[in-house]
Amino acid sequence: MIHLLQINPSTAEAGSYLPVAIQLIFAVGLVSVLMVATHLLGPKRKTSDKLQNFASGIESHGDARQPMAIKYFLTAILFVLFDVEVIFFYPYAVNFKELGWSGFWAVLMFVGFFLCGFTYIIKKGALKWED
Amino acid sequence: MNALILSAVLGVIMMFSGILLKQKSAVRGVAITGLAALLLVNILELRGIHFFKIDVAGMMYFDRFALLFISIALFATLVYFILSAKDMEKVGADYAEYFALIFFIICGIILVASFKSLLILFLGIEIISIPLYILTGADKRNLKGNEGSLKYFLMGAFSTGLMLMGIALIYGAAGTFDVEKMKFAIETPAVLPVTGMLLLLFSMSFKVSAAPFHFWTPDVYDGAPTVFTSFMATVVKAAVFIGFIRLFDETFGTFQVKWQMWLAVIAAVTLFIGNITAVFQQSVKRMLAYSSIAQAGFMLLAVYAMNTSAKEGILLYAAAYSLATIGIFSVLNKLNDYTFEGFNGLAKQQPVVAGALTIFLLSLAGIPLTAGFLAKFFMLKSVIDTGTGLWLVIFAVLMAAVSVYYYFRVIQAMYFKEGKADITVTGRFKWALVTIAALIIILGTFPNILINWLYF
Amino acid sequence: MPINYYIILSIALFCIGIVGVLTRRNAIIIFMCIELMLNAVNLLLVAFSKMHHLAGKAVLETAGTDGQLFVFFIMVVAAAEVSVGLAIIVMMYRNIHSVDVNFLNRLKH
Repeated sequence: MIHLLQINPSTAEAGSYLPVAIQLIFAVGLVSVLMVATHLLGPKRKTSDKLQNFASGIESHGDARQPMAIKYFLTAILFVLFDVEVIFFYPYAVNFKELGWSGFWAVLMFVGFFLCGFTYIIKKGALKWED
Repeated sequence: MNALILSAVLGVIMMFSGILLKQKSAVRGVAITGLAALLLVNILELRGIHFFKIDVAGMMYFDRFALLFISIALFATLVYFILSAKDMEKVGADYAEYFALIFFIICGIILVASFKSLLILFLGIEIISIPLYILTGADKRNLKGNEGSLKYFLMGAFSTGLMLMGIALIYGAAGTFDVEKMKFAIETPAVLPVTGMLLLLFSMSFKVSAAPFHFWTPDVYDGAPTVFTSFMATVVKAAVFIGFIRLFDETFGTFQVKWQMWLAVIAAVTLFIGNITAVFQQSVKRMLAYSSIAQAGFMLLAVYAMNTSAKEGILLYAAAYSLATIGIFSVLNKLNDYTFEGFNGLAKQQPVVAGALTIFLLSLAGIPLTAGFLAKFFMLKSVIDTGTGLWLVIFAVLMAAVSVYYYFRVIQAMYFKEGKADITVTGRFKWALVTIAALIIILGTFPNILINWLYF
Repeated sequence: MPINYYIILSIALFCIGIVGVLTRRNAIIIFMCIELMLNAVNLLLVAFSKMHHLAGKAVLETAGTDGQLFVFFIMVVAAAEVSVGLAIIVMMYRNIHSVDVNFLNRLKH
């Protein structure tokens, strides 16, 4: 069978997992100790205010599911698109030298198309925040 | 390659033309001129004149079959623009964007027609699909449009997932995406390539709306704005069929015996469901949606047979079917009433339009002397040439006879029923319709003027 | 690890995605299940890519890299699909104030 992840089999012994186990016990232990300690030591106030949603100290009013301005959505989606497109720069960055000038022109063309889209968005007013 | 690059650039140009040009007629002018230029450079490439020399690393291959199909698709789109571009104004405010999206779809069509690597097939299908989702929902306030768009999107994305899994499994077996380098041995059918092939078969059946994966088609075609249904049901469907044929010819040609039976069953079920359901429709738009499923059943026969006459026939079929359906939809756009009653008395008011419409319907039904007849004939001949599947031929002929019923209902409504079909058309529109009707008859008499382009 | 583990893992993820698409009624959740299917494919492609690389690196140094490049394309296309799909879902939500696909039966009548 072909091994996909190159783990050196000699290091994968039970003993080498000891630090991991100690770390795990410590992490779980710390969390549980802290939770129990705050429960026992902390003061208890049972008032109706505590049951309300915390909204930065301001009294909450209305339903959270209100209509939201569509521009938030638009900006978020545009961010996702432009963010993910950057993925194509990674292979180019790794092989920058080998690809030479032809690779450079190809990437420049890609960026050019990109900028066309960006100009289009701005011209259409999709990024305008003030009404 | 000429048309691919130009179509991408034209898409960008159309995007900005909406901002720069204020008049809608100017936008339309740019689009039609651009498409004519696109057709011209593609025909030049078919004659051996290349404008671009780009190393595609063997991922695309522009042979005569691909180039001729691209020319047919571009010509059909040009006809579509001339007949229906004005009706797009009714859909919504983003007039230029619709053209831009159509140019991007053309880009995808070119990729699908000329792929040599499964990566390009995937990209092409997606570049076709994503703008189509938008066009289906272009009428934002229309609930039917919303519904069709969401359904199309969910089903399309789902079938893309299936297709990707198929491609991944094939990659695992072959170690390459290049269809030339894949060599699957027929003696030892391994699990991975056969599973991958089946997944690809199902997902392509989804995309061409073959039964039993057709259920999204009527809703989407009915919900989409009629102008865009016209494009979706014709050029796009034919393009995906070309991709289907290339995929199963070049990639899986070696184990044809494995998938041929599957395809025969899919083709038979598609023919049956498409034709029988179309009989019961009350709306012409929905009837045309089911008729497009039925016509897809006929085109599947070419995938089943996969020989020379199948490849010649599918090109003729694409041309005949696209032109006739675009013509019918362009008239449907002008009507307010989409039921069969909406056509009542059309022959008295607009004899020229009714006459052209009759020729389109006869062509779809496959009556001799029209291009549709010869296209169907080529499909049946290709199956007979394989020496197997005679039952499929007989079944297909029976189903074609059923299809005559619902196409003739429209003709009957136009000629033999009293009524007031509500329609106003310009003189130019009439001329365009007559020209296309003449073209269909010419193709039906001398199919070689199209097919000879494959060889000379 | 043997390649079979990866195949089984991604087929399992893929099937979870398919079942989700077929049984769920919320458009957003269906959409998430489709993304799960795509990510199962990504995982499988990367695993196969590594496998082919190890098998063929003696002959060709770049053997198997095309699988990873395919993953990039899937990611980008998925992002484009997400933007269009979410826009469609928002458009529908603004009209009928629901993302339940059971509402999608107007065209049947």
